[in-house]
Amino acid sequence: MIDNGLLVQMILGALLGLSVYLPMAAGQLSLATPAFYAVGGTLAALLSTQGDTPSAISLGAVLGEMLLAAGLTAALALLVGLPVLRLRGIYLAISTIALVEIVRVAILNLPFTGGATGIFGIPQPFQQPLGYVLFSGSLLALAGWLCQRLEASRLGRSMAAIRDDELASRCMGIHTTRVKLTAFVASAMLAGVTGVVAAHYLNTWNARQGSFDVAITTLAFVILGGSRSWLGPVIGGLLLTALPELLRPVGDLRLVLFGLVILLGPVFFPQGLITPALLERLGRWKP
Amino acid sequence: MIEALLQTLLNGAASGGVYALVALGYTLIFSVLGVINFAQGALFSLGGYLTYLFLGGKIGVNGALPGWGLPVGLPFWLALLVAALGSGAVGLLVERIAFAPLRRRGAEPLLSLITSLGAGVVLVNLLQLLMGAEGYAFPQGAAGLAHLPESLLIGGARIRTIQVLLLAISALAVAGLSLWLENSRSGKAMRAVAEDATTATLLGINSVAVVRLAFLLSGMLAGLGGGLIGMSVSLAGPYFGISYGLKGLAVLVLGGLGSVPGAIVGGLVMGLAEALIPAEASGWRDALAFAILFAVLVLRPSGLLGRRQLEKV
Repeated sequence: MIDNGLLVQMILGALLGLSVYLPMAAGQLSLATPAFYAVGGTLAALLSTQGDTPSAISLGAVLGEMLLAAGLTAALALLVGLPVLRLRGIYLAISTIALVEIVRVAILNLPFTGGATGIFGIPQPFQQPLGYVLFSGSLLALAGWLCQRLEASRLGRSMAAIRDDELASRCMGIHTTRVKLTAFVASAMLAGVTGVVAAHYLNTWNARQGSFDVAITTLAFVILGGSRSWLGPVIGGLLLTALPELLRPVGDLRLVLFGLVILLGPVFFPQGLITPALLERLGRWKP
Repeated sequence: MIEALLQTLLNGAASGGVYALVALGYTLIFSVLGVINFAQGALFSLGGYLTYLFLGGKIGVNGALPGWGLPVGLPFWLALLVAALGSGAVGLLVERIAFAPLRRRGAEPLLSLITSLGAGVVLVNLLQLLMGAEGYAFPQGAAGLAHLPESLLIGGARIRTIQVLLLAISALAVAGLSLWLENSRSGKAMRAVAEDATTATLLGINSVAVVRLAFLLSGMLAGLGGGLIGMSVSLAGPYFGISYGLKGLAVLVLGGLGSVPGAIVGGLVMGLAEALIPAEASGWRDALAFAILFAVLVLRPSGLLGRRQLEKV
């Protein structure tokens, strides 16, 4: 059923779901996650295949790549976010789609990113999938813990206030641009770091890894799981990544199902699986 | 030299015409509802496939019925029309499923962006299930096109007949739509709803019917665009409409959201700009639209011909 390989993919899905969730927690529909994921993956692929490529890479080097990817995507998100976050709603969604497409075409056409075939033979820090499970699992635990802390913090509450009413929160003295930008940068860094892990795990990387499709699937994670708590996108990401494997017979119907989730979810389950009421019922343990 | 430039410009204008069709489809819905229908690209694909079918093209039904096709091939203009109507009908269905329930509930308008995206994903993947992922080339010398010459000589520039046809048909559709919006009773009703839906309803305009009409026309424009591109290039798999849908968004922003002349001018500018990209850099062509989109959003968010919108509370 669920082997370690699938478990890694599920965890990576949950991480990407969190990346889509963060701006949404501040009321911003950003579809930019695949762009930053692609930047992180490409960075890792390029750095670790320089010179005569060893088949293994040390964990320290991977951590270094993750730091670099976080820095690079944060810088990119600041650069893009400042003009883009002045925009709202539809404009923001459209401009983040534009970003995804620009990054995809750039990776496809730049002279050093391997064109359509991409980069092969990315060295592995772990020889067994179990290593990846533990590594990405710790990353998810860390990200979840940070989100949990965030939701109780001043920043997290400002984000929730902006989601509920941007104008009112600005009147209350919340620096809305700064809060939205922070959420956008955090989302980008998380996607970039996830890209690094994915590139090593997948062993190969190309422009298709960060296509518009990824924006749709990761959005589905958040819609299914619910965007009212960080637990929602995590559950959504885990479930929806496992679903096609568990329902192998449906095969080609996979993307139709994803589409149906996105189409019908907001109509019938506007709050997703993990609703505030459900969290309430879970007692004092309130993420 | 001049001939080569003229040829480039004519080809650019032809694809610009199709961009304008897609952007106009977005514009109609945006002006009455203030939302974007993200299923537009999928309707574009659907139009391409329907046109192919009605022209007598053979499909595989994903291996279940190899070489299956309609027994008759329609003349191209009729095939385009019927296909456009088919896309329009599916557009109505998208309204019913993805937009109407949210509107009734008074939900956040941004949610319909997500649901329409879902509708598009379902549509494209159903197409893929039924038609397979492979591309289809239109039947050579399709009914009604066979007696036309392969290419025409215009001012010394050689241009494929189909490109001229593309330009003419999109110009016709755009002109017809503009005249209808300007002069007809239902067109005026649509403009009234676009201006202020509540007031229009109070004045006795059936705004629900106007919204449905907008979705029908918008789906027809997308379907027509898909049919035209299919005839001129080919159907490169069910996803081929998505990239036109995304570029249409760029055109929409370039022209100004909700502006009909803006969508037309934006489409032409985009088509010409793409045509003028030198062959060496053709790989970057697909990024141009989005680079322009970004620049417009940063420099002039109201677009070329859009009205500056006041921040609404």
